[in-house]
Amino acid sequence: MRYDVVIIGGGLSGLTCGIRLQEAGKNCAIISTGQSALHFSSGAFDFLNKLPDGTRVMHPLDAIKRLGGNHPYRKIGEEKIREYVADVQDWFGKSGIVLHGDVEKNHYCLSPIGIIKSAWLSFDDFEPLETADAFPYKRVAVANFAGFIDFYPRFIADALAEKGVECRIEILNIPAVEKLRTNPTEMRSANIARVFDSEAQLENVLTLINDLSEEVDAVILPAVLGLSSVYPLEYIRKYSEKPVFFISPVPPSVPGIRVQKRLQERFVELGGTFFLGDTVEKAFFDGDTVIGITTNNHSDIQFYAEQYVLASGSFFSKGIISRSNEIYEPVLNADVEYDSQRDNWFCKNVFDVQPYMSYGVKTDTGFHPLRDGVPVRNMFAIGSVLSGYNPLEEGCGSGVAILTALHVANTILISD
Amino acid sequence: MNDKDKKEYDVIIIGGGATGAGTARDCSMRGLSVLLLERFDYTSGATGRNHGLLHSGARYAVNDMESASECIKENMVLKKIASHCVEDTSGLFITLPEDDLSYQNKFIDSCLAAGIKAEAIDPKDAIRMEPSVNKSLQGAVVVPDGSVDPFRLTIANILDANAHGARTLVFHEVTGFIREQDRIVGVKVFDHKQKEQKSFYGKVIVNAAGIWGHHIAELAGVNISMYPAKGALLIFGHRVNNVVLNRCRKAGDADILVPGDMICVIGTTSSHVSYDEIDNMYVTSSEVELLLREGEKLAPSLSTTRILRAYAGVRPLVASDDDPTGRNISRGIVLLDHEQRDGLSGFITITGGKLMTYRLMAEWATDLVCKKLNNNKECETATTPLPGSRGVKEETEYSEVIPVNIQRTERYRHGELAAQIAKEDKFDHSLVCECENVTVGEVNYAFQELAADTLTALRRRTRIGMGTCQGELCACRAAGLLSHVHQCSNRAKEELSSFLNERWKGMYPIAWGDCLRESQLAAWIYNSVCGLSDYNRKEERKDAV
Amino acid sequence: MNLQQYNISENNFEQCIKCTVCTVYCPVIPVNPKYPGPKQAGPDGERFRLKDPDYFDVSLKYCLNCKRCEVACPSGVRIGDIIQMARIKYSHSRPKLRDRLLANTDFVGQLSTKVAPVVNFSLGLTPVKSVMDAVLGIDHRRTFPEYASQTFEHWFNQREIKKKQSAFKRHVSYFHGCYVNYNYPQLGKDLVKLMNAVGFGVHLLEKERCCGVALISNGLIEQARKQGAQNMAAIRKSVLDEKRPVIATSSTCVFTIRDEYPHLLGLDNSDIRQFTELATRFLYRLIERNEVKLVFKEDYKQKIVYHTPCHMEKLGWSVYSTSLLKMIPGVDFRMLPSQCCGIAGTYGFKSENYETSQGIGQSLFDDIGQSEADFVATDCETCKWQIEMSTFVPVMNPISILAEALDEEATMEANKEFCK
Repeated sequence: MRYDVVIIGGGLSGLTCGIRLQEAGKNCAIISTGQSALHFSSGAFDFLNKLPDGTRVMHPLDAIKRLGGNHPYRKIGEEKIREYVADVQDWFGKSGIVLHGDVEKNHYCLSPIGIIKSAWLSFDDFEPLETADAFPYKRVAVANFAGFIDFYPRFIADALAEKGVECRIEILNIPAVEKLRTNPTEMRSANIARVFDSEAQLENVLTLINDLSEEVDAVILPAVLGLSSVYPLEYIRKYSEKPVFFISPVPPSVPGIRVQKRLQERFVELGGTFFLGDTVEKAFFDGDTVIGITTNNHSDIQFYAEQYVLASGSFFSKGIISRSNEIYEPVLNADVEYDSQRDNWFCKNVFDVQPYMSYGVKTDTGFHPLRDGVPVRNMFAIGSVLSGYNPLEEGCGSGVAILTALHVANTILISD
Repeated sequence: MNDKDKKEYDVIIIGGGATGAGTARDCSMRGLSVLLLERFDYTSGATGRNHGLLHSGARYAVNDMESASECIKENMVLKKIASHCVEDTSGLFITLPEDDLSYQNKFIDSCLAAGIKAEAIDPKDAIRMEPSVNKSLQGAVVVPDGSVDPFRLTIANILDANAHGARTLVFHEVTGFIREQDRIVGVKVFDHKQKEQKSFYGKVIVNAAGIWGHHIAELAGVNISMYPAKGALLIFGHRVNNVVLNRCRKAGDADILVPGDMICVIGTTSSHVSYDEIDNMYVTSSEVELLLREGEKLAPSLSTTRILRAYAGVRPLVASDDDPTGRNISRGIVLLDHEQRDGLSGFITITGGKLMTYRLMAEWATDLVCKKLNNNKECETATTPLPGSRGVKEETEYSEVIPVNIQRTERYRHGELAAQIAKEDKFDHSLVCECENVTVGEVNYAFQELAADTLTALRRRTRIGMGTCQGELCACRAAGLLSHVHQCSNRAKEELSSFLNERWKGMYPIAWGDCLRESQLAAWIYNSVCGLSDYNRKEERKDAV
Repeated sequence: MNLQQYNISENNFEQCIKCTVCTVYCPVIPVNPKYPGPKQAGPDGERFRLKDPDYFDVSLKYCLNCKRCEVACPSGVRIGDIIQMARIKYSHSRPKLRDRLLANTDFVGQLSTKVAPVVNFSLGLTPVKSVMDAVLGIDHRRTFPEYASQTFEHWFNQREIKKKQSAFKRHVSYFHGCYVNYNYPQLGKDLVKLMNAVGFGVHLLEKERCCGVALISNGLIEQARKQGAQNMAAIRKSVLDEKRPVIATSSTCVFTIRDEYPHLLGLDNSDIRQFTELATRFLYRLIERNEVKLVFKEDYKQKIVYHTPCHMEKLGWSVYSTSLLKMIPGVDFRMLPSQCCGIAGTYGFKSENYETSQGIGQSLFDDIGQSEADFVATDCETCKWQIEMSTFVPVMNPISILAEALDEEATMEANKEFCK
């Protein structure tokens, strides 16, 4: 099978790259082992929340120059990044993804356990908070669906109470949702979201929201509406008497799954081919050039392309794999940045900076992965497979995924 | 201080491990007024950090006949009184090509002499009996080993003690003693929950604090020279074996593989540690390597089985000589009457021994307490079944409302007490922990009836977070339920943080492959999505750019 | 050093890191709360079953075996296989008469073909359907595929057709499957036409038995294993002795032979697996290597939507069928979102599953209804029954569409160079 570009990995980074290339007329294939880490999204893209030394970042673009030289942002360069982010909201808008926020400035949001967190661009479900210390409403009802144990109203209510908000915890009884609870495990956010694909159920929940909103200024709900489209969100916003706020439950994340679906659909609409459930086994080389790759499903029918992109993720997605005494990259055996002593991969306190989070593939400044120190000429590595940054500590996982993808797509297009 | 605290108890027991709980049960069954004080949660010391092996005694038969015969007697007692805590799996002692086969005869003779049924079988039959066993075995002996759940066993003793009027307090740490001349009349205590000092008075104080008993004795001004021997173990993701596997040779490192509940455990190592390390036992990579290397000899499939975690406990051995391995010290029971030994009345120490003999230790300690208090009621703990082991009627039908497997696990864990778990509401059977089948109903039961008010205590009562995901999926749900019980989310956040840290402690020593993937997913959920790492480092916040 | 290298289990279920992604893509969960879901039924449940086989849960029967959980899984856990294996290993219940009838597609097919008009007529009668529902538990709302009056094998074995095949230079064997043989011989005829046009002689296997997919799902494992072994012997003879690769037109037959044989029946097919494939994949490869050319009629104009059967999704092979369809100049092609149609072989025929089955497929039927397509193209015969019954839009196998659109003479001419 012949394509212009074959992208290994169908998460945020791979899809961003694939869509950009398809828009420019390239014919791309994306090969993805399974569903991506967007299923565990917080509901927002982060760009840079903290510097490696712990300094908090409010204006992320201005902080790029303070990062180390090996950081992917430094490899792209501040000027290019400013160029890419300028229209990033419009660009995602073309895939039907509304992103709230200001690219120049981080905002705040409430986490599932009521902790104020920084975010860069929040998905349509969420309204950004301008400051960490205040909430725009004085009296709020925090509502949960009866029996849903992945959302914790008490955490949210207590967090808001600390900011002087008067909170009430309310339970919504919706028989169609409660029916899910006849199953001990499957009342999960995505399954609740499916219930609200039905207009009748949306009306139901709207009535309940309006009933309890009489004595409050706003209502908070778990973000479990709209698995495949934002229609249920829009419906509630349009017809509810008081503003409705959404806060993420713990994963799986309905907003994240929706973003994944939207991006995937956009990629396919633009003519790209998405291979789900297939794993790239090996890349074949002629010197420093990839000449083809084989996959599990297609075995002898190889994939050929002019350019290849490695967007295969971190440990979770098996973009890099650890054994007791080594960490390796399975597709091309690229050089991986890590400490050879396993004892040094971890800190004893789970909340300390964990070195393993920064491990990943080594690249040159043009994002070509290295093999025995030599860059692979027609391959690029993007997203969380990269080394040189700690996505959790710095709060920059999505930003690196998106910007390295856009940058590499541009590099490929310019090289023509 | 309320009136209750001014009361003089007949006996105050220090330590909420199996021995302390057993002593509280025995004393209260003999009609004494009892107070038990535990500095953290029940089973947080060596009781909760061992193999979970229901010894037949065979392991000690060759070198320590006394321990061996204590073991087999208690083995038979526990099968009767604690049926919901033990599994009668039986055990194999196998001889591998590198072992001396002639040891087998000596082993069998010693077992029989100690009263342990031991029978050599054909290696082929051993493979049939336990297919995971190393196929190159040269010999095999069947003994009545089994497995025991120390968490359930201890709680059952506490429940029965409470039922007989005993007062038992967790998070109450003994900080000193109240003396009148040569007599101890009470204890000074720090209540970690209320953050306050308290005093309690008792006629006899029993030091049942395990390895920490060394420190307790010091507070009382007497010296017991304890020998802290660290033992490290590994837990595997599922039951590889259903029969206990031992090496038939002189006891050594990592030569027992025990199937316990949903998992199996290989152990142990043995190394001397200094006394100031005992509160912070970390498993090292060389211990992990040793356990794996030896474990794979017992059951080769361990080499391809997922490891869930590593942990280590400290054996409370009383030092008798300078043996650096700690193996030649008897596992025997040590009962010290400090009145006779040190001229300090009102204070006794019960230590040494092992989980298997906790009941006998409790009986000895209680006998001495009773002697001092002129109580001559007989001990009945060996014949009276514990709560939970009083018989689930097999014919009791499973409810149709709840999936049978959930009811089956509840009965497995709580015996007839499973009937107390709320089942009426369909929300009660929602699974909080999907790996170990722990429902909302069971969690609430543990909160209300089993003195669980921390997440770690909840784990010990229910197995929440002890399965494949080690809390990745359930910790947050459990914290949510806890915030509901306490009507407070701040404590729940603290609890969630310490629970995750405690899980991580056992994961990072073996975090490669799928365990590292699991850890990364958990870190994304709790640190990135939930923001817990920021919360735990809030005081470090630096200025913004 | 003999230290565990991976902390990754050969016990595939342990690779599950409890991410719950599979539960988002299970088609059964939203319509049947009695089903524990792939995570609980699969890797979670397996730990319990290893501890004590009594933890086997009969509700595992609600699994469609669609394998969409496996496609979604980022950890490579063969969730569907774990569930089906659990049913094989632990289920004590013996298959009912109904299940035996539904499972024995070739036995029932042989009987029915002989008296096809009577069977087709009676299966359409309301009283017959009510009796079947009441007595057998086969849902009365189901329409049955019609039985042909002449089997494909019978047609093929006519002297002139069979004889013609040896005149070719290149050869394949055709695993036609029960559906082509008993219900829809036309698809087999289309395959022969197409392959002959590109210069391949088509042969039948020495002895073909039903692939066994329905036997497996209905718990008749011994019989499935026996038939599987017979098929493998026939395929070996074709592939290894006669050097004829085996092609099929049913995605389910191919999937069963390639993947279910080794995973569920313990049959080692490693020597022949890569030579047993779907006809569209076989053709795609040759076209890509420039060893086959297809020429199509210029006046062929159709609007076609493609439905990805679950087993095609798992195989990842819809790209081959759709690439070939897109080669037809007059085709207005659109891909339907990949989702389960709900039939899952014999699953949807059972009264207890009817509602679930139709509920699962509803959004697909709506989508097709609004598509204004002339045909739905799909590679699976049971999807065809389900979609035709539920939408009234005709469904065709890509091979039939290719055969219809083919300019036979021009194609023969174009492939002459390869046939020397």
